[in-house]
Amino acid sequence: MKNSANRIVLVGALIIGTLGFTGCQSTKAKYVESGGTETIVSLNEINIQDWSKAADEMVDSLLTSGVLERAPRVPAVMAISRIINNTQQQVDTDYLTKKIRVELNKSGKVVTTTTVGAGGRAEDQLAKDAAEYDAFMKDKQPASSNMPDYSLSGKLLENRVRAGSTRQVTYTFQLSLTEVATGYAVWEDEKEITKQGKKASVGW
Amino acid sequence: MRFYTLTTTLAVLSLAFITGCRQTVNTTQRAQSQAAPSYVDDHRIITDRGLGRIIHILSVNETTVSGDLLKIQVRLENTSKKPQTVNYFFEWYDVDGMLVSSASLAWESKRLQGKEVGVITAVARNSRVVDFIVKLQEPKR
Repeated sequence: MKNSANRIVLVGALIIGTLGFTGCQSTKAKYVESGGTETIVSLNEINIQDWSKAADEMVDSLLTSGVLERAPRVPAVMAISRIINNTQQQVDTDYLTKKIRVELNKSGKVVTTTTVGAGGRAEDQLAKDAAEYDAFMKDKQPASSNMPDYSLSGKLLENRVRAGSTRQVTYTFQLSLTEVATGYAVWEDEKEITKQGKKASVGW
Repeated sequence: MRFYTLTTTLAVLSLAFITGCRQTVNTTQRAQSQAAPSYVDDHRIITDRGLGRIIHILSVNETTVSGDLLKIQVRLENTSKKPQTVNYFFEWYDVDGMLVSSASLAWESKRLQGKEVGVITAVARNSRVVDFIVKLQEPKR
């Protein structure tokens, strides 16, 4: 009799404890730090913290390489070329390139031209048109026709494997910085982000 | 007899389980290092004693890259015999003590095998950066 009473009290305490604990896990929407450790890690897409991590490591690599110290001018001028997406997702590669551009711009080492782009497409068509009009009126070479010193190109790759119920996905970010005058890739790097698990999770 | 056999079996299985979870790292390197690192005297604030016991900060050294950008390297040691992951984040401060913002603002993670010594590094994005704070955090379980 006493044993079953003790058992009931123990079970009751466990149930109350579990409810109390799970009650602390709020399901209300809240703000979390982008790229922070409370973000969701998913196995079927590139998360925001993955883009930040890849961009961070690429910029670190480029700045450490010393290539920019040999640039013909300071700041060097860089154009964005094609970033090929070979993953299964539809992604906007600006998630990667824009972060890199911003970081390089802040370093004072590189500025990005928005009037020269892959396929002759300008990112900022207004700036290009205005520069060409100004040059026409002043009878001089438009600034937008000045060749950049470097171009940034790359590729995104994806590799998926499975062992039982555990899935693993590796996203590979490949970038090359090409010296426009020579056509040589003066800096190249590749970063891999591998995620493994049975399902997506909150926090890491 | 049955009890003795059961106990022995459990002991053997437990030993196999424990030793199987350990993945420590053996290393070899120059007896006399050729490197001449520039070490930084650092000030540490430990709020997570558990993490502090498992992940030791061995040293912090600095260098300059791209002519004028500060690069920091922190050597970490996993003092346990099992692999450990540590999340980290670099903050940069300029000569006025003001935080220099970063577009990436991403925490990163480093996986260290048992007894492994590894490094985490970061490059400041601004030549005005003179100071840093490295934040270490245990991953969410």
